[in-house]
This record gives sequence, structure tokens and C-alpha cells, in this order.
Amino acid sequence: MMSDLQIIELCAKHDRKAQQVLYDKYSRLLLGVCLRYATDKAEAEDILQDSFLKIFFNIKEYSGSGSFIGWLRKVAVNTAITHYHKNLKYRYHVEIDEYISVETGVTSFEEDFFTSDELFKVLNELPAGYRMVFNLYAVEGYKHKEIAEMLGIDTNTSKSQYSRAKAVIRDKLEKLGKLKSSYSEND
Amino acid sequence: MKTKRQNINLRELFSRKLENAEIIPEASVSAKLMRRVARKEFLRFNPAKLNIYYLGVILISGIGTALLLFSGQGNSDHFNSSGISASIYRTDTVKYIEIQAKQPDRKSPDKSNVIQIEPKKMLIVSNLPDTSGPKVLIKTESNKGVDLLPTTIPNSLSNKRLFSEVTSEMQKLQSGSKPESFLIDPFVSVGCAPMKVKFYNKSASYDSCRWTFGDGGYSNKRDPEWIFDLAGEYKVVLNVQTNDGKLLTSSATVTVHPRPQAHFEITPDKAVLPNDEIHFMNYSTNAVQFRWNFGDGTGSESFEPRHTYSKFGNYNVSLVVFSDWGCSDSLVVLNAFSGSEYFIDFPNAFIPNAQGPSGGYYSYKSDEGAQVFHPSYSGVNDYQLKIFSKLGIAIFESSDINLGWDGYNKGQLCDPGVYIWKVRGKFRNGEPFIKMGDVTLLKN
Repeated sequence: MMSDLQIIELCAKHDRKAQQVLYDKYSRLLLGVCLRYATDKAEAEDILQDSFLKIFFNIKEYSGSGSFIGWLRKVAVNTAITHYHKNLKYRYHVEIDEYISVETGVTSFEEDFFTSDELFKVLNELPAGYRMVFNLYAVEGYKHKEIAEMLGIDTNTSKSQYSRAKAVIRDKLEKLGKLKSSYSEND
Repeated sequence: MKTKRQNINLRELFSRKLENAEIIPEASVSAKLMRRVARKEFLRFNPAKLNIYYLGVILISGIGTALLLFSGQGNSDHFNSSGISASIYRTDTVKYIEIQAKQPDRKSPDKSNVIQIEPKKMLIVSNLPDTSGPKVLIKTESNKGVDLLPTTIPNSLSNKRLFSEVTSEMQKLQSGSKPESFLIDPFVSVGCAPMKVKFYNKSASYDSCRWTFGDGGYSNKRDPEWIFDLAGEYKVVLNVQTNDGKLLTSSATVTVHPRPQAHFEITPDKAVLPNDEIHFMNYSTNAVQFRWNFGDGTGSESFEPRHTYSKFGNYNVSLVVFSDWGCSDSLVVLNAFSGSEYFIDFPNAFIPNAQGPSGGYYSYKSDEGAQVFHPSYSGVNDYQLKIFSKLGIAIFESSDINLGWDGYNKGQLCDPGVYIWKVRGKFRNGEPFIKMGDVTLLKN
């Protein structure tokens, strides 16, 4: 097995085998990242391909300081953002005011009540703008100001989109939760 | 639901569950990716591997070598031309004797194809050293190339005229000295590429023949027709086998001049007629004379003319260019000032801001709520908008296209309902427009 350092070095020399190794090692993790930003797996795989192209041809830019995985993840997120911008005009645009933030819903969840697949599905069904902001803020941990810059939107828009996204997700999870509880009651 | 885990909030839920979630990609993704990598790798400049840059270099050097070889050939022809012609004439002269013997009655060449031959001074050099027969070297006095040129550029564009303007050196020689000495009679020998030439085999005794046209082509017909695609000087050779088994050779030169290319652009891009002075940018190549037609009955012969139209209209602008050799090309731009990209359209409903009059100034960004009645437009110069109530009372007027109607009249929000609008003005190309319609004022 090659270490990350070896892989990086070989990839910098455009070694085809090392590229394959890098892909085999990290494609699953990065597809997990991509899927959060996509509407379905096919789109996520497109983003994944673009991400790996960027990674292969720009691997020299990885400074060596900081985690390699973090760098890979960042490339994937940036690619997803580029993808989002590129496809913005083709997406079905959902009117934002359809969902009015109601803070009275459930505010806490048990970690293992929902499966990852279910959470992915909830994200995939989200309007693209909500999904971007929610992922960047809640999962990637960017600040609203950074998100605003990345997406080319206003800081306040990022904030309001986030809170609306939360409301939608909460709503969806609640429905899903009820559905699941009714199953378990029937069991 | 009896998990021991503590309850967490939404953000934590997603970041914990999904931050490091792994999804297995389809197997095809890897293959697809590697194909894309290979493609990109090929396009990347890489000194260690053969890629497109090297292909490019090879291609360019190949073309360069080919050009070099080609031009080298041309040059050597040019430098040796007098030598070659001398030898040609020598053999021709020999043949002349033979033909003369067989056809004593023939006095002059067949002139049906010769339209006009300008008399040129001839320099006759006779009695070259160590020649035993009656050999004559004929050279035109001036430079051979210049000699072949028509002295004026023809007025008409038709190729016919170019083709019929026969000033072949051969024919000059024919008329000037001993015409029968040539077996070849090209219908034309100077013209513009692509040039079609009809050749006549004038040998009296004829069994079989072979023509080689100097561009790699050949024919076994008696009187072949040949099209020269590329500019250049071609030495056409005719080998004739006579009935009594003799082998005769004769040659002629065909000069094909490059055709010029007419090309121009009109500025400004979106001209306002009749106000703007139009500038015609000339990108023609190989051309020395230009004939412009601006489409309004006027024209020009300057290289890059400027023109002001007297009124709005869609004009066809044409340019005909001529080369030094009288070859021509033309370009016509139809409807050069067509206003198809100019338009003005109005919506049929809007929702005024109930909070109070906005003033009516709008931008596409700020008026996403359609609070101001305004047009979508392009290339509008003059503009006047009027809004009438159903009773026909004018309640709004604007001559600034950036100022729309905010739905208020004298500070009061107008009643919901249908209003009539009328707009008149001019597009940038000078074309006037008048439009009318109705718009429904909706309540917020």
C-alpha cells in the first residue's frame, strides 16, 4: 500500500496508476460529499468526476500542510459550487416563500433514528439554493460570510436560506419520523 | 426508540451522520474518469510524452517543408525560364520545318480564338553559338511576367472577359513570327484560379498524343479541357505521335493568377440611420482596386470609404475587388442595417406597490415583483409612453425609457383594472415604431 504522500508525489508526475489508487481510496468519501450537493447519484457522480479531474491536474497546489482529505473535500465542495452555478438556470426554481420558518417544531433528534440514506434523500429533495447553504453551513462548517462569497449571494440571504432550509428539513424529518414510528408500532 | 444516544440538534445530526458518509460510485465512473484524464493528459503540454503539441509541431513542420519545396520549385522555374524557353523554341523551330513541309498552304494561325493581340516589341536573337540549323530565339523585350498582364483592369466582373482577354506569349509569338511552329493552342493562357483552359492539338499529322498539364494532371484526348485549381505558372507539354511514327513535342505556359478575396465589416455595429457615419472596414486580400455599392444608389472606389445614408432603410452593401491581374471577387451584405435585434415589448399586467408610489424608476433587478409597468426592449432611441384610463383620460406619460408607470396617479393608487398604453419612438437604426395595448393593474 502506498502512503498518501507517495500517492501525491506520483500523482504530481501524472502517474496513471497512482491516480487510480487515489481514486480507489477516496472516491467513496468524496462521492458522499458530492451527493449532499446533488439532486441524485448521477449528478453526484458527474461532480465527482470533475472533482477528480481537478485533483489530478492541480495536485501540485496541495501545499502539504493541513490534511490531504480536507484539501480533497474542499476541491469537491468547490466543484459542487461551480456545478451549482453552471446549472442554476436549468433547475426548477422553488419559490422561497413556500416554506415559512416555523420554530415550533421538533428541535432535537436522536442521532441514530434516521439512517444516512434517509438524510441524503432529504437533502437531495431540497431546493438547490437551500441545499448549498445548508451543507456549507451545517456540514462543512463555513461561516455565513464565507458562504455568501462562495455562492455570490448576500450574507443575509445565506442566513435566511439556512433557517428556511432548516425548517424544511425539520418538516420533512418529522413526517418521516411519524412514518417510521407508525411502522415500528405495527411491528 | 430506546437509544442511549443523547438528543442532538439538526445541524449536529447532519454533520455527524453525513460528514464522513461514504457512497460507492458506479464502476463505470472510474472508467469514464480515466478516459477524461487521458484526454486531458493528451491536451496538456508534456515534454515527456507524445501529445497534441508534438502532433502540431510535426504538422506545421511538414507543411513548412512542403511549402519550402513548392516555392523552391517555383523559383527554379523562374530563374531557368529563359533557358527553358530557349530550348523549347529550338525544338519548336525544328518542328516548324516539318509542319511547314507538310502544310505549305497554311499561312497564319487559326485566329478564331484570338480576340485581341497587342503588338509588342520583339527582340530576335539569331545565330546562337554552336547551332547548326536555322534556330531562332525569341524573347519579349520586357519582363515576361509583366508582358502577360492585361494593361487595364477590366470593367466587367464576368470571367468571360478575363478569359477572352488572350495575351498569351505563345500567341504573341505566333502572330509576331512563325505561328505554325506550335502544336499547342490554348484557348486562354492567363486567368484567375480556378481557371478552365481548352487546349487544341494543332498537329497536322496525328496518331496519338499525351498532354501533361504541369500540375500533375494528364490527358490523352486530342483537344482536352483542363481546370487549374491553384495559382501558378504551369508548363503544358504535348507529345504527339504522328502517323508516320515521328515523335513531336511542344509546350506552352499557362499562367494562373490567384483570385483576390473580398471581405469587409461595417461599423458601428448597431448603426443609427441616418445619423451615424458608417465606416466600412476593408479586409480584402490580394486586391488593388475596390468598387463599393452602398445600396442606396451611391458607391465609392476608395479602400475604406465612409458613408452617411440620407434616410433609414435596409441596404444591401456590396464590394467588388480586383487584383493586379484583373481577377475579381465580391461580397454582398444583405440588409446591412437590419433591425432584427431591436424590439420593444410590454407586459400585460403588473402589481403596484401598495405602500406608496415608487416614482417609476426601475431596473430589471429591482423590479422582480413587477411593481412598475415598463417595457422590455433593445436598441430603442426615442421613446414616448402614454397610459390612459378606460375613459380615455391620460394618466401617465414618460419620455424616459427608464421611467415606467408605478400605478399611481397624482399620488393616489389607481384602481385595479384595465388600462390602455400607447408607445411611439424610434429604434437605433432609425426605424420608427408605434404600439398599443392594454395592461391590467392587479391588486397586491
